[in-house]
Amino acid sequence: MRERMEKALSSSDAEYTEIRIEHVTSSWANFRGEDLDNIGSSRTLGGIVRALVKGGWGYATFNDISDLEIRVREACESARLVGKEESRFAEVEPVVDEITAPLEKDFREISLSEKKSVIEEYNKIILGYHDKIETSNVGYGDSFRKVWYANSEGAYIEDERPDVGVGISATGRQGDNVQRGFESVAGSAGFQVIEGLQEKAEASARRAVDLLSAPPVTGGKYTVITNPRLSGVFAHEAFGHLSESDFVYENERMKKLMVLGKRLGSDILNIIDDGSIRGLRGTHKYDDEGVKTRKNYLIKDGILAGRLHSRETAAKMGEQPTGNARAIGYQHRPIVRMTNTYIDKGGATFEDMIKDVKLGVYAIDMVGGQTSMEMFTFSAAYGYMIRDGKIAELVRDVVLTGNVFETLMHIDMVSDTIEWPPVGGGCGKGGQSPLPVGLGGPCVRIQNVVVGGRQQ
Amino acid sequence: MIVNRLIEKAMRKAQGAQVTLGQSESTNVSFEDDKLKSAGVAQSIGMSVKVIVDGKIGSSHTTDIDDVDGVVARALEAAAFGSPAHFEFPGPQEGPDVEIYDDAVVPVTKEEMVRIGEEMMALVKAYRSEILVSTGAGKSVSKSQFANSAGMEHTSETTSFGVGVSGQWIRGTDILLAGHGFGWKKREIDHAAIARKAIELLKMAEKIAPIKSGDMPVIFTPEGVNVLLLALRLGFNGKNVFLGSSPLAGKLGEKIADETFSITDNPLLDYANGSGKYDGEGVPHHVTPLIEDGVARNFLYDLDTAGRAGAKSTGNGVGCGPTNLVIKEGDTPYEEMVKNTKEGLLVHNVLGLGQGNPISGEFSVNVQLGYKIENGEVVGRVKDVMLAGNTYDALKEIAAIGDKAEWAGGSLLTPAIKIARLSVVGK
Repeated sequence: MRERMEKALSSSDAEYTEIRIEHVTSSWANFRGEDLDNIGSSRTLGGIVRALVKGGWGYATFNDISDLEIRVREACESARLVGKEESRFAEVEPVVDEITAPLEKDFREISLSEKKSVIEEYNKIILGYHDKIETSNVGYGDSFRKVWYANSEGAYIEDERPDVGVGISATGRQGDNVQRGFESVAGSAGFQVIEGLQEKAEASARRAVDLLSAPPVTGGKYTVITNPRLSGVFAHEAFGHLSESDFVYENERMKKLMVLGKRLGSDILNIIDDGSIRGLRGTHKYDDEGVKTRKNYLIKDGILAGRLHSRETAAKMGEQPTGNARAIGYQHRPIVRMTNTYIDKGGATFEDMIKDVKLGVYAIDMVGGQTSMEMFTFSAAYGYMIRDGKIAELVRDVVLTGNVFETLMHIDMVSDTIEWPPVGGGCGKGGQSPLPVGLGGPCVRIQNVVVGGRQQ
Repeated sequence: MIVNRLIEKAMRKAQGAQVTLGQSESTNVSFEDDKLKSAGVAQSIGMSVKVIVDGKIGSSHTTDIDDVDGVVARALEAAAFGSPAHFEFPGPQEGPDVEIYDDAVVPVTKEEMVRIGEEMMALVKAYRSEILVSTGAGKSVSKSQFANSAGMEHTSETTSFGVGVSGQWIRGTDILLAGHGFGWKKREIDHAAIARKAIELLKMAEKIAPIKSGDMPVIFTPEGVNVLLLALRLGFNGKNVFLGSSPLAGKLGEKIADETFSITDNPLLDYANGSGKYDGEGVPHHVTPLIEDGVARNFLYDLDTAGRAGAKSTGNGVGCGPTNLVIKEGDTPYEEMVKNTKEGLLVHNVLGLGQGNPISGEFSVNVQLGYKIENGEVVGRVKDVMLAGNTYDALKEIAAIGDKAEWAGGSLLTPAIKIARLSVVGK
C-alpha cells in the first residue's frame, strides 16, 4: 500500500497532499423487545485525498482505490480553484510508524451467534425485571478500522483502531408515562469489555421503573453537583468546543474573546484535553494529519492556557500543533476535535461538596449535550434532589443549561478523584458524528445553574 | 444488472433475497469565515444484501463492488442466527409518478457554486460587514438498482442541490449565530432569498430582550416546528407502537390534538428530499394521513414490522420513519399571530432536542435562536432561556396555525404554529 500511495503522492503538484485509506470491518446485532431486530456485518474500503494550494483545500473521496493518481489530480484541481493566498501549515517531523492494536479477545474471531447470545442475556434480564417494563433495546456493535496515512512530506503511518460497545436500554411504562433507563459500555478494546454486564442490564431496568414514579425536576436555578460521567459532558460541551481553534483562527473578534491569559474560571478550575491517555476511546498515537497526540492544558488555574489545533490553525495562530485534527472516516476531512477532555481533580470529597447545599440537584450520567459555543445544554440521565445537605428524592428530566462565560466562574468545588467510565456514544461536529471521545472526570459543583423543566 | 446476479447467487441457499446497489457523486464548495475554503468531489458506491434462510433474516453491506461472493456469504451467515421474518418480499408493482431528477442539476460547476456562495456572502456583508459569514453549495447525482427474489426490480436516478448561509456576530461576550439553508432534488433555489431570510433572522436579533420565567404563548416558526415534531416522528413509528414504547399505541381513532391540526406523511411531493416511487423495500409509496382534524389515523410501517403487528406496510421501509411531513395550513396570517401576542416567545432553533425522553413527548431545550414578543411586536433575541413542555399537551393547546406552509429543510412543509402556553425558564 505504501508504494502505491507514495507513487500517487509524487504525481501531485500541490504544496501539501495527503492520502488516507481505510478498511473497516464491522458487525452488529440488536434486540428490541423479545425479538432480535437485526443482525449483520459490513466491509468498507475507501479513501480520501486532500490537497493544499495557496491556502485553499481540495479533496476527493472514493471507494474505488484503484486510481489514486486520478483522485490526487481531482483534489489538486479543486484546491487550485479555491486557493488565493499563501498557504500556512505547521511544520511537523514526518513520522513513519506502524501501530497495531492487540486485542485480549479479538471480536473479529467471535461468531455472530456468540455476539448475539451475550446481548440476548442482557435483554432477558431487562424484560424479566418487572411487569412495568414495556420493552427494551439492546444493541451490540464492533468495528475494526485499519488506516493507512501518507503525505507528501514523507510521513507514512499504519494504524489499527478497534472499537466495541453495547447499549442497554430499558423502557418502563405506566399509562401514558414512558420512562427509559440507559447504560452503555464501549472501548477501544477486545470483546471482553462487553461481557459480564448483567448488573448494568438490571440497573437500566431498575431505573426505568423507578423513574416512572419520580417527578420531573422543578425548573429553576440550583446548585448542581455532576458525577464523573456528566462532568465529562460538561467539560466537553460547556468549554471544550470553544477551545477548538477552527472557530477562532480566522475570526478576529473570537480571537479577542478567547485571548490566552484571559480568566474564565476560579483558581481551582483546570481543564485538559489529552489524546495520549492509555485505553480511552478518544486516544490515538497520531491524529489524522500525522501529528502526535499529547496532553494539552486548556484552562490552568482558571486562566485560558491553550487550545486545540490542526496544523493549519496552529500555523495561522502562531501556536504549536496539538494533535487534534481528527476525521470520523475516509469520507471526511480531518477537523479540529477533542480527544479525552476533562476537568482536573481538586481537593474536595463528595461529602464536603454536598454538606452545605440547602437545595440542589445531584445530576448523574448523561443523555447528551449540545453547544452553540456561548450557550450550551446537557442532559443528565437522572438526578436526585439535594435537600439540607443530603441526597433526597429521585427526579427526572434533568436538563442543564448555561453560558460559558458565566457558568465556568460558578464552579466552586471539584472532587479529588478522576474516573473514566467506559461509556459509548460520541461527539458530533461539522456533519461528522459520532467520533469516539473520552468522557470522565471528578465530581464538580456548580452554583446557579439553570435547570430546565416545567415550573410547578 | 449486478443486483440480479447477486439475487441468483443468494437464492442458491436462501428462500428470499433483496439486493440494493447505490452509486453517487457529489460536489461541494464551502466558504468559512468570509473566505472560500474548500472544494471537492465525493464518489461512493455501496451494495446491501438481505436474505431469508429458513424463515430468518440476515443482512450485510459492502463498498467493494468486486466482493460479490463475500457480501452474499456474510448475509447468509448472519441469517443462521437472524431474527424471524414476518414478511415475504413483494412482487412486481408499479409505483406512482413523482419527480426526483432534475437535468439542470447535472451541469452545475464548482465555479457556479463559488459564485452562489459569493453572492450570498455579499448580501449578508451588505447588511453588516462585521458579521462573519460562512456559506456553501452542493449537488449530487445518485443512481440505484433494486431487485428482490419475488421479481420486483427497479432502477432510479436522483439529483439533489442545496445552498446555505450563516452569520456569526460577536459583540463583547455575546455570540450570535443565525443562518438559513435549503436543499432538495431540484436546481431551482433562489439563493438570494435564502440569504435575505438569514439577514432577517439576524436583524430581529440586533437587540437582546430579557425574558422572565413563566408560562406564556409560544410561536414556532416553520423551522421551529421541529421541536414539536420529534415526538410525533417517534410516536407514529410502527415499531415503537408495536413494542409499546410509543404513547400513541392503541390510540388510532382517538383525538390526540386540537381539531385544527392535521399532518400527513407524503413521499409523493415532487423534488422533496424524502420523495421517490418506492421505499427501500420495493413497496410503492403513497400518502399516509397521521393525524386528521386532531384524530390519530395511521402509524407508519415497514414490511417486517407490519407483519409482526398484523398491519400492512405503508411504504416506510426500512425503519418505519416518515418520508416528508406535511402539516395542513390554518387560517391565521403569521403577522397576525405575532400581533395577537401580548407577551410571548418566538422559537426558531433550539439546542438539546432529543436529549431526555423524547418519545414521551417531553422536551426541555435551550432556545438557541428565539425572540421575545411584546405587545404584538418582536422586540429582540432571547438568551440563556429554556423552553419546556410536552408535545402531546401542546398539540391540544394550539392557539393558531399559520395560513401559509413553508419548507423547513427539504422534507418538512409546515406553517408556523402558536401554542397557547408553554413553560419558559429564564434568568
